[in-house]
Amino acid sequence: MSFDHHSPQLAIDHKRFSQALERDALDVCLDYLRRNQAPEPEAAKLISRLSEKLFRNGRTDDAVECGRLAFALAANDNEVADFCAWLFSNCGCYAEAVAAYERLIEHRPDWVEGYRHASGALAATGAMDRAIAFAVKASNLAPDNFDYAFHAGCLLLDAGKAEEAAPHLARAVAIEPENPRAARALSAAIYSLDRLDEALRLALQAEALAPGDTDITIHATELLLRSERIDDALGLLDAATDREPTNPTLWRLISAAESQSGATEAALAAIERALALVPDNAEYHLHRGHLLYRCGDFVAAAEAINRAAALDPCSQSAKRAQLELLVVGGQLTEATAMGGELLRAFPDDNASAEAVLRVLNHRLDTIDGDYVVVADRSRHLSRPPRTEPSFIDRMRSQTRVLFALIIRETRTRFGESRLGYGWALIEPVLHIALLSAVFSLLMRGAPPIGTHFFVFYYSGLVPYLVFIHTSTSIMHGVTSNGSLLQLPPVKSFDVILARGLLEFATDIVVAVILLVGFAAMGIPAMPDNLWSVATALIATGLLGCGVGFVNAVLQTLFHGWDKLWNNMTRLLYFFSGIFYVPGMMPDWARDSLAWNPLLHAIDWFRAGFFGTYQPHWLDRRYLLVTAILALLAGLSLERGLRRQLSEPA
Amino acid sequence: MITLDGVSKSYPTAQGGRRIVLDNVSAAFPDGSNVGILGGNGAGKSTLIRLLAGSEMPDRGRIRRSSRVSFPLGYGGTFHGSLSGRENVSFIARIYGANLRETIDYVIEFTELDIYFDMPVNTYSAGMRARLAFGTCLAIDFDIYLIDEVTEIGDDRFRRKCALAFRERMRRSDIILVTHNSRTIRQYCDRGAILADGELRFYEDIAGALDCYRRLSETLQ
Repeated sequence: MSFDHHSPQLAIDHKRFSQALERDALDVCLDYLRRNQAPEPEAAKLISRLSEKLFRNGRTDDAVECGRLAFALAANDNEVADFCAWLFSNCGCYAEAVAAYERLIEHRPDWVEGYRHASGALAATGAMDRAIAFAVKASNLAPDNFDYAFHAGCLLLDAGKAEEAAPHLARAVAIEPENPRAARALSAAIYSLDRLDEALRLALQAEALAPGDTDITIHATELLLRSERIDDALGLLDAATDREPTNPTLWRLISAAESQSGATEAALAAIERALALVPDNAEYHLHRGHLLYRCGDFVAAAEAINRAAALDPCSQSAKRAQLELLVVGGQLTEATAMGGELLRAFPDDNASAEAVLRVLNHRLDTIDGDYVVVADRSRHLSRPPRTEPSFIDRMRSQTRVLFALIIRETRTRFGESRLGYGWALIEPVLHIALLSAVFSLLMRGAPPIGTHFFVFYYSGLVPYLVFIHTSTSIMHGVTSNGSLLQLPPVKSFDVILARGLLEFATDIVVAVILLVGFAAMGIPAMPDNLWSVATALIATGLLGCGVGFVNAVLQTLFHGWDKLWNNMTRLLYFFSGIFYVPGMMPDWARDSLAWNPLLHAIDWFRAGFFGTYQPHWLDRRYLLVTAILALLAGLSLERGLRRQLSEPA
Repeated sequence: MITLDGVSKSYPTAQGGRRIVLDNVSAAFPDGSNVGILGGNGAGKSTLIRLLAGSEMPDRGRIRRSSRVSFPLGYGGTFHGSLSGRENVSFIARIYGANLRETIDYVIEFTELDIYFDMPVNTYSAGMRARLAFGTCLAIDFDIYLIDEVTEIGDDRFRRKCALAFRERMRRSDIILVTHNSRTIRQYCDRGAILADGELRFYEDIAGALDCYRRLSETLQ
């Protein structure tokens, strides 16, 4: 059966239409409907049924067309309006759905569900104020309904009305305490009201209720970071990235957490993973730029920040960061231009104004203001000019340096040794004991001079040690104290002299202690001529210092000189008359030995010590002349080669 | 005030030639200004500082100092490893004729070395050594502080402490700083100079020096 296509009908034939409808001949009905220009209002119900069938067959467009027709025909019919509202909502025609719901509510002002539906449709059209009004009405009319309360709360929250949202959401949470979404929404509202602790508690509650929900995790970690619970936040984020490694927000938050805990490298790695997922996020680039800046990599930071500014030309923070970078890079002209731009774009922003002010002041701070501007000359105090140091000032400072060096040498002379200064005493005692033991057996009787072996060897050893100690220790003075020459007041001469003085003084003290020791042992050992003994020692010391100076220079010039010198000192032990007197030698041998100035030093000392010993070969002038010549040679070498001597090795 | 009078200095290089640091340079570092000297790698920045300090001598010419010039800030090479921090500080205080007690109190307060202050320096960590060297130099009232690159030591808190102590010193003292980092220069100095090719060129302001330095490093690259 079919309609007669050639004869237009004035009204819908209800019976035939419904029969066609029953047989699901939807196209026939539709065709009929389309050709019929003005169906009567009574047809609305039939058209609704057609529309429903069309919708169920997936023919949304045709269904909407029929729905519109039905609604236009019988908007006042509740059944039709109810169907239309449902249809329009499900087909995305929210504006029309709103009209249908509003019609229905007009008829049934106590239909709570209607307010809720109308609100949903309004929200979908973007008419938030009216959507909120209906949602609030629904929530207030049915206070025990979770969905109404939650919906109203969410709408209010999205509209930024956290204070009004909170009671609705609190009600929703009270109705369904196990619902994680409600807890998360309430947490967001409470956080907006600056009640961080409470918000965090709710967020963690939501997280516990839905451990796999990334949105809730993100919210909870944001609050944790604000509460500075960085480790907890990182724990949640790690679990979330295991679950969902491709969510860039999670990586961004990890970066924030690491950066907050000071782990800039880790923060950089995290933001780079986020950027690998969304390469065009301006905020991520900006954040990366700040991190690079903090690492001191200004070039890369500039690149990242410029990228952010290019991606989001309106971003104020990107512009500000660019400005900071220009200032740090010394491009003050560009920075000033950028500052002007910033001020024009954001005339009311304090941060921008401050940034520009910084440019103008040439003040250089990092983003955190970590550095102190030091070159602030406004409070500079002037000090009186120093007067030219007088001769006495110079002497005083020379003495000061020598004194300081001597104190330092006393502490370091024997290095780590626990015996320390004990060595200075032990060395001569061992020598004297050994020599006495050997030669008292050999000679079986009296020593060459005096009555006691100890005293005889003492008289030979003391000048020998004075000479060896001063000359050897001075030799190492410069090389082992090279670093001290980095202190401008300390000259190599000071270092050398301090060592010489210290060694000399030490040996004198040791010599006196040994004399006291002899006296304590009951051995008569007082020098016969104290003056002669003292001058002999001073002359020996001078010779040692002179030779030491020369040694020091030779040692700096030829490394290895010290080894040669050590062997020579051993030879001198035999050629200086320590354990014999030159008088025991044949004349030719004695005459050759007499070239050795140290032999004269020892004999001078002995001649003072033993009044009876006055050797005719002793030439005190020879010793003095060699000592002075050595000193002069050493000093002039030191002076002439001072540059090489003070050059850092 | 430090004046250089026809000063030349070169040092031998590993390749057998000589690198010229200063070539017949006459210049003056006037009182009351903080001079930042920029120089590329190998321009002889450290040698220049040692020349100004007087720990190295020029090959030719004279360097006169009418102020008390520090040793390079933070230089700890003079510390003797087997001496304690206290003994090392005392030594330097004696050398410069500074009040021993005040110097030691300052260093104790500044370095926060506690019991380590009386232990041999070779038991110190590198950071502790650096703190001791920095504190000792600041403890003595020098007219001019010589700085060979600004090195930052310790954690954030200690760095801030250093900066504050340094600022306090700079109210009375001047600095001469050599660095390759233009940023440090602008933080600390009000006059600039560039050391390059044996010449030491002075600029009245930092901006001029930095400009020139940038052009110079660009041409070198």
